[in-house]
Amino acid sequence: MAEDLNWAVGGEAGDGIDSTGKIFAQALARAGRHVFTSKDFASRIRGGYTAYKIRTSVDKVQSVVDRLDILVALTQRTIDENLDELHEGSAIIYDGERSWDAEIPEEMTAVDVPLKSLAEEAGGAIMRNIVALGAACEITGFDVEYLDEALEKRFGGKGSKIVENNKEAARAGQEYVQENYDLDHLGYNIDTTDNDYVLLNGNEAVGMGALAAGCRFYAGYPITPATSIMEYLTERIEDYGGHVVQAEDELSAINMSLGAARAGARSMTATSGAGIDLMTETFGLVATSETPLVIADIQRSGPSTGMPTKQEQGDLNMALYGGHGEVPRFVVAPTSITECFWKTVEAFNLAEKYQTPVFLVSDLAMSVTEQTFPPEAFDMDEVEIDRGKLVDEDEVDEWLDAQGHFRAHAVTEDGVSPRAIPGTTDAAHMSTGLEHDELGRRTEEEDERVHQVNKRNRKVETARENEDWDYREFGNPDADNLIISWGSNEGALIEALDYLEDDGIDVRVISVPYIFPRPDLTEEIEAAEETIVVECNATGQFADVIEHDVLTRVKRINKYTGVRFKADELADDITDKLTEEVPAQ
Amino acid sequence: MSSDVRFTDFKSDKQPTWCPGCGDFGTMNGMMKALANTGNDPDNTFVVAGIGCSGKIGTYMHSYALHGVHGRALPVGTGVKMARPDVEVMVAGGDGDGYSIGAGHFVHAVRRNVDMTYVVMDNRIYGLTKGQASPTSRSDFETSTTPEGPKQPPVNPLALALASGASFIAQSFSSDAMRHAEIVQEAIEHDGFGFVNVFSPCVTFNDVDTYDYFRDNLVDLQEDEDHDPNDYEAAKEVILDSDKEYQGVMYQDENSVPYHEQHGVTEDMSEIPDGAPEDAMDLVREFY
Repeated sequence: MAEDLNWAVGGEAGDGIDSTGKIFAQALARAGRHVFTSKDFASRIRGGYTAYKIRTSVDKVQSVVDRLDILVALTQRTIDENLDELHEGSAIIYDGERSWDAEIPEEMTAVDVPLKSLAEEAGGAIMRNIVALGAACEITGFDVEYLDEALEKRFGGKGSKIVENNKEAARAGQEYVQENYDLDHLGYNIDTTDNDYVLLNGNEAVGMGALAAGCRFYAGYPITPATSIMEYLTERIEDYGGHVVQAEDELSAINMSLGAARAGARSMTATSGAGIDLMTETFGLVATSETPLVIADIQRSGPSTGMPTKQEQGDLNMALYGGHGEVPRFVVAPTSITECFWKTVEAFNLAEKYQTPVFLVSDLAMSVTEQTFPPEAFDMDEVEIDRGKLVDEDEVDEWLDAQGHFRAHAVTEDGVSPRAIPGTTDAAHMSTGLEHDELGRRTEEEDERVHQVNKRNRKVETARENEDWDYREFGNPDADNLIISWGSNEGALIEALDYLEDDGIDVRVISVPYIFPRPDLTEEIEAAEETIVVECNATGQFADVIEHDVLTRVKRINKYTGVRFKADELADDITDKLTEEVPAQ
Repeated sequence: MSSDVRFTDFKSDKQPTWCPGCGDFGTMNGMMKALANTGNDPDNTFVVAGIGCSGKIGTYMHSYALHGVHGRALPVGTGVKMARPDVEVMVAGGDGDGYSIGAGHFVHAVRRNVDMTYVVMDNRIYGLTKGQASPTSRSDFETSTTPEGPKQPPVNPLALALASGASFIAQSFSSDAMRHAEIVQEAIEHDGFGFVNVFSPCVTFNDVDTYDYFRDNLVDLQEDEDHDPNDYEAAKEVILDSDKEYQGVMYQDENSVPYHEQHGVTEDMSEIPDGAPEDAMDLVREFY
């Protein structure tokens, strides 16, 4: 495995940290290098520590590690916050002319660059971050021309003057380091390749999946970290004849999406924990009126407003059990950024095939993390659309009762009724949150009630039989020890395998993208000596359902600091757990 | 749409469980007449309702319909209309549904100017929960939960609509069948959010806002030759007049542009390709 480089820029929110990081990440991707980014940010608009970290290698990278090689520090806090990740060989780029007295540990390479002055010479102080990027290129021996390409992409729309000024700023940073320091690239070797990569985050992949799947209507209410799905769709959905509504609240958002879905549009809403609480009111109506709807929950730390900008996988129980009464739903949880795309496509198909709400459960770490992929990872020719039992005028007759009423909630063997949308002749019908008969009319008659409950639940059984509720597998399939994970932990787990291998520990990793229905892991768990379930929550919600399914105790690795798992840390945790006593049966 | 649609085509064969004499019978009949008169048919009409006596309307009418959760009918109607500008959307609610739990949605549906008709069956009481004060109950109206009256002033729904930027505001009386149907018809024909507050008396729990009360006190704006619905100031005067009860179209903005037109939404969103759109790889290339 080629050596990877870990780079970060940090400062206060409002310092342009995010765009600085993004530009450098794009430059590295342009150079045919793999990139994996992560962000530390606070729930405020200006001020407060914020950082954008990049891990890059010519090999695939899919997690964060506890090492920082180059740090662009715009504030002292940036250095302090990252001290435990900095090492003797780290270089810190800072602006010694600024008012703060940088305290840089002696063993590290301090690279004092007058970022602000050089930026002003190039056309404006705002470009001080670009000067720092030029300096970073020089320190690592990375060709600054790749940075030019990223600057063109970023600022091309603002005119050639802006682009030229930025290029000049980058050159100024590069030359300053060249002239004033003798670093010999600190021994870094930033290889480039001819590979073309795309760089995107989980929420962008969800939005792209929605468009590819024919989503035409989205209503949402801004909430971290789900908002960027709405922003992505807002810019693009009209090209496909669709529309995004910024609703007045989450209650409205899910009801608008429900209305559009009943009118026949592929429809979606997305939110995070606190918003899901509000949407839960309508969730049962979506299920019992048998409306196809995709509801994305981009989890963050809860409960209540919790830690809005921090990672957690704490909403699994909500997705599985949320809402009063008993209603069928599907819960799909992508395990990687490419899966964010494919599972979104699948969510729309499941919703329409089974006329059921589908929870698409992602998490903050995945939603803000950008990663490089070959574009074929999102091959649009592979996208298939299945609209289920959507009946047209010619098929309506089959579903009419003796009086000519359309049986919109017909009791069928597979549990799925015919679905007619407005405009379909002779299929006018009502649907309701009240218990109803086949025509959608209110009933409290005992047999009808039981028929409808059974019918709705049968959809799940039909889906269990007809769909692939599979899992992804890594490591050694014959290993004695089994690790089970869901959501965004997959990348860190895959990389943890390398560390474990170095220590002579062999494990099998199963990453599960379906929470309900889910693959039956009984055989796999019975075959293993030890099973450990890894998740970002305190109580082990997925471990609970696994224990329930398999009737066996499993070990748990839980992280609920608000920070995602790191590969090296996870390897240590796994090693510790494997030597721990098995819990009592 | 067929031209030979009669209002009875919008009637389902389910017998209403409203109390005998309930104002909602007349309110619903007028809605059905107005839909037929405007050339709509049940297969092209979507009726949305929330919870309460008013919420039952979807069961008694024949059309595409959704009976949803309390207070959220307007967002559902908004979703239907945006996805299908070709479909006639009618939303029904009650005074509790619309002005209490759904008040936030009311303000926003009004200001968006979504092209749908909102009929509120206002009986100034909670009927289905057996007689508690509603947002439009008089401040001295004694009920099981307000033994000395709510004491707060009632919500003025017409003023709330006006303040929210409504493009069409009207009021009618369910018992004045012809006028009520005419007014709802004007609301349907209006390009934008057509709001009609309907006095729809509750014969079981409200012995103040009765048929007789409205018959004796209602002033029809149609008989006032000076009232010009296009005149905002005149509308304001009538709407804020707390001494009289009016029926008729109080206000109509002739320049109203409905939400979907403001946003260039014209297509039927139910039609999508069999696979990803042809140029979908462009979505990926954006991330180069």
